[in-house]
Amino acid sequence: MLLEKIQDIRNEFRKEFPSIKNAADLENLRIKYLSRNGLVSSLFDEMKNVSREERPSAGKELNSLRDEINAGFLQLKEKFSKEESKEKVLIDPTLPGRIVNYGSTHILTKTLEDIKAVFKGLGFSVYEGPELESDYYNFEALNFQPDHPARDMQDTFFVSKDFLLRTHTSPVQIRVMEKMKPPVRAIMPGRVYRNEAVSARSYCMFHQVEGLYIDTDVTFAELKGTLVSFAEQFYGEGLKYRFRASYFPFTEPSAEMDISCYICKGAGCRVCKFSGWIEILGCGMVDPNVLKYVGYDPEKYTGYAFGMGIERTTMNKYGIHDIRLFFENDIRFLKQF
Amino acid sequence: MKVSLNWLKTLVDIKDIPADEIIQKLTMAGLEVESVDDETSKYKDFIVGLVTSKQKHPNADKLSLCTVSDGRAEFQVICGAPNVDAGQKVVFAPIGSIIPNGKFKITKAKIRGTESFGMICSEAELELSDDHTGIIVLPEDKIPGQPITEALGLNDIILEIGITPNRPDALSHIGVARDIAAIFNRLVQIPEVNLIESDKKCTDYASVEIEDPVNCPRYSAKVLLNIKVEESPEWLKERIKRIGLRPINNIVDITNFVMYETGQPLHAFDLDNLSGKKIIVRSTPGKSEFVTLDSKVRELPKDTLLICDAERAVAVAGVMGGENSEITGSTKNILIESAYFNPSSIRRTSKYLSFSTDASYRFERGTDPGNTVYAAERAAAIIKEISGGEILQGVIDIYPEKIKSVELTLRYARINKILGYSIDKEKVKNILIALGMVLQTETTENLTVSVPVSRPDIEREIDLIEEVARIDGYDNIPDVKKVTITLGEKNDESSFASQVREIASGLGCYEMINNPLQSEMLAAMTGEPINLLNPLSGDMAYLRTSLIPGALAVVRKNINSGENNLSLFEIGNVFNKKVSEEIKSFEDFEEKPRLLFLLSGKMSEKTWDQTEKVYDFFSLKGLINAFLLQISLDNVLNDLYYQGQNRIFDLTFSKSLGKSSIGEGGRVKKEILKQFDIEQDVYAFEFDFDALKSIEKIQKRYSEPLRFPKIIRDFAFIFDSNTTFGEVKEFISKSGSGLLKSVEIFDIFISGSLGDNKKSMAFTLEFFDSNRTLTEDEVEKEFNSLISLVTKKFNAKLRGI
Repeated sequence: MLLEKIQDIRNEFRKEFPSIKNAADLENLRIKYLSRNGLVSSLFDEMKNVSREERPSAGKELNSLRDEINAGFLQLKEKFSKEESKEKVLIDPTLPGRIVNYGSTHILTKTLEDIKAVFKGLGFSVYEGPELESDYYNFEALNFQPDHPARDMQDTFFVSKDFLLRTHTSPVQIRVMEKMKPPVRAIMPGRVYRNEAVSARSYCMFHQVEGLYIDTDVTFAELKGTLVSFAEQFYGEGLKYRFRASYFPFTEPSAEMDISCYICKGAGCRVCKFSGWIEILGCGMVDPNVLKYVGYDPEKYTGYAFGMGIERTTMNKYGIHDIRLFFENDIRFLKQF
Repeated sequence: MKVSLNWLKTLVDIKDIPADEIIQKLTMAGLEVESVDDETSKYKDFIVGLVTSKQKHPNADKLSLCTVSDGRAEFQVICGAPNVDAGQKVVFAPIGSIIPNGKFKITKAKIRGTESFGMICSEAELELSDDHTGIIVLPEDKIPGQPITEALGLNDIILEIGITPNRPDALSHIGVARDIAAIFNRLVQIPEVNLIESDKKCTDYASVEIEDPVNCPRYSAKVLLNIKVEESPEWLKERIKRIGLRPINNIVDITNFVMYETGQPLHAFDLDNLSGKKIIVRSTPGKSEFVTLDSKVRELPKDTLLICDAERAVAVAGVMGGENSEITGSTKNILIESAYFNPSSIRRTSKYLSFSTDASYRFERGTDPGNTVYAAERAAAIIKEISGGEILQGVIDIYPEKIKSVELTLRYARINKILGYSIDKEKVKNILIALGMVLQTETTENLTVSVPVSRPDIEREIDLIEEVARIDGYDNIPDVKKVTITLGEKNDESSFASQVREIASGLGCYEMINNPLQSEMLAAMTGEPINLLNPLSGDMAYLRTSLIPGALAVVRKNINSGENNLSLFEIGNVFNKKVSEEIKSFEDFEEKPRLLFLLSGKMSEKTWDQTEKVYDFFSLKGLINAFLLQISLDNVLNDLYYQGQNRIFDLTFSKSLGKSSIGEGGRVKKEILKQFDIEQDVYAFEFDFDALKSIEKIQKRYSEPLRFPKIIRDFAFIFDSNTTFGEVKEFISKSGSGLLKSVEIFDIFISGSLGDNKKSMAFTLEFFDSNRTLTEDEVEKEFNSLISLVTKKFNAKLRGI
């Protein structure tokens, strides 16, 4: 009984096989004979009804049928896949891909995000403050005395006698300290303005990131360690650092941080003005007068502050020679980053 | 400030220390050496040459053909200077020399057909002065071939030092020498004054009176008779030139010399032009006028400190002398003023006049009130030495209330608390003493010093710590390798803006950063702009009131450079004035961040398989909706559409939360674009960024993918042409049962064949239930009911299903 069925199916297959012309036919053939519910499978199901005597010969026949169909299937499968790859050659893959529109953030944003990432990793929060500031926050509370030449360090745009466009992000220090009790550990990015003639090297508006850490045991040594760690993460390992004494009314002692020129490796080039060093930021220990202004006890609390320019950093890093390029928003510039 | 290393060497013994080390250590200690001019290397190529012959150039009237000898060989040199002549000793630049002025290299050159092998130099070319009228003619005794560094003593190193505003004491060679002495543990040698005075008493010849002791705490003067005003000797001229000043005459040069040596500005009056031989220092009771040394009439405000004689003003104190009492060639008798003025007073005057001099620069930072007599005597002694005359006996010194030095206590433990390391106590003491502090008392925990009055920046313990730190060197402060972080709430106020920037760029827009300062024309277009009192230019005199005008200017600029296809965004603050009068508080104006999107031109150019696509109103709408979806504000805001009624857009849509609009945009009006000379359409949308930030976002929840089939039905109707998709969609959605899940439009067709003022809209409806398989019958029933409802409601005609 089963042997007959096997023979019928073998005959059917042998009749059908030569007419398979393409991969689709072959797939139908596979489904008909070889799939889980296919004919071969159903024959195997019937084996349980076959008597013990017939079983060996039926099993042998059935295996041979399965092997024949399988071999035929594999042979055609290989043939068709070769034909298919021949057909692919007819498509011209050198044609351009379809256009995908994409945009980008401004290069200054990218630099700022990189800086933020480092300091957030070091446990800093991020705060912002207004650009149109009062003289109090921009100067007075930061220990700039009235009629003091220190005010000349920052040429100021005024909108009235007591209101001005902030000349640095340092007023946000005061605002944050007014709001919070120590410990305060924050960076404060933002836009600042200086009344300076516009040239390739200076613009009347630019961006800074300010940093501040106030607690009971903050030292200059910690300031150095933190900023060296920042520079290593941001500019890369293997650079040399130095902290030079400097002056800012709101820090004492004050310093400027230089790194060895990463362009010429200290040999001297135009970027480092042949000094081998590039100034990257100003910093220092928060002046006790500033702490007093916001009601912190300078005997109990000490802290450090630092500030850096985003444009200068970006210009050095990407070889941009003219600061005005940042604000012209020429799409050919924007698309480069 | 320019400082001469040779000059410094007369004040502190540093001959054994390499210049590089001095420069590096000064920089580290806060006197930043910004540039170095090393004469030895600058002039290494130049030698003394002897002009052995001179002829006219065969092809040029103004050029000479010279032969220059360097003692061994002769060179043919073409020279354009009118004063060149045979027999002169000159400065010769052989081939290969680098000319300091212009930094060019001398090569063999052919000038009008004749070869030239080198150059004869002028003072300007060597940067010795700005004199370029002729070549330098050297004294007879110079030897051809001798390097000019030797022949002219050009072996100095000039340092340009950036002196921070807190260090007026360092605005002199002695001041810089004091820091060097402290750094290298050397001694400063203050020049001794060898004063040979006559027996005439100065008080018999002149007197001084201070009427405003607050603004002029001290006024000292020396009087000299029978001096001769003439050119300064070479050594003095060289000193003056090295620090970048122009020699004038011996008296002016000496006062400048002493100022650059001691930091004390001096002024010499012609005593015979001082009416009553009297100096009165007073502040102006009201506005007045004064003619300064530069022959300009200057208006002075009330409370300007003046130096007067018995009748009139003779100088604006600390800023500039007057024409009426200046030293002239015929001056015989002089009074040298050496005063200490209140820094604020001088600064106010100098600011008011927009006029700064070497003297006012020092006075407004704070000169040394203890040093006036020394400086006057130092100048008097040099004047006598150089120009003869007699120094009258004694000094006039009006000093009503002596400025006391501050006493400060420094706790050693505090050094550690601030700097994070401890410095040897003996070292601390030595540094302070080297800087001029006088030790008062000391214990194991602290020491007390009095601070010299020359250091107005040292007022507190922290200032002493700074002095110790910078002289010891910040390099000695360890940098910790471990920091502790306080756990607790971390905040990032900028994180939403960062997220928005990433999304906007992902949606195909490029971020702009525009200058918020713009012209009144742009700023007034969209609000009540705030103006700057002191703008750089009219183009940057106002603060923007919206991001749109600035962005339109960017569109214009890009079109100018051939870039017409733009998709842009910006986040930035805008400013609006809320009062008509002057801004006196934060309530008088508003500063708010906004977010702008802008599309213009083509979305994509024509390609091999696609026609070009142009940005339109629906590109903007799609962009805004995609953006809101990404920040989880989809389905929170409602849309409103209107035409006209807007300053900027002719076709507007807005997004609002309840009734308050949080952003609007659309197609920018032609008349606005015209002001920017833009001819292509521009689509823009501006959000109130704070509102976007503060609206509560929908917390996204996971929903199971549908496990049962959807049933989709299409129908098309002919409507009156003013029927909108929005109203039909709303009606169908409202009329359907819960099984109807979406209504979308897939075709719009307008044609006369439909009838007058008719249009066809075709919709796709999606039905499903997430819990079961729908039957064809129930959908069919609902679909048919919708057909009749739409037909009735809109007087529409079914066109096909």
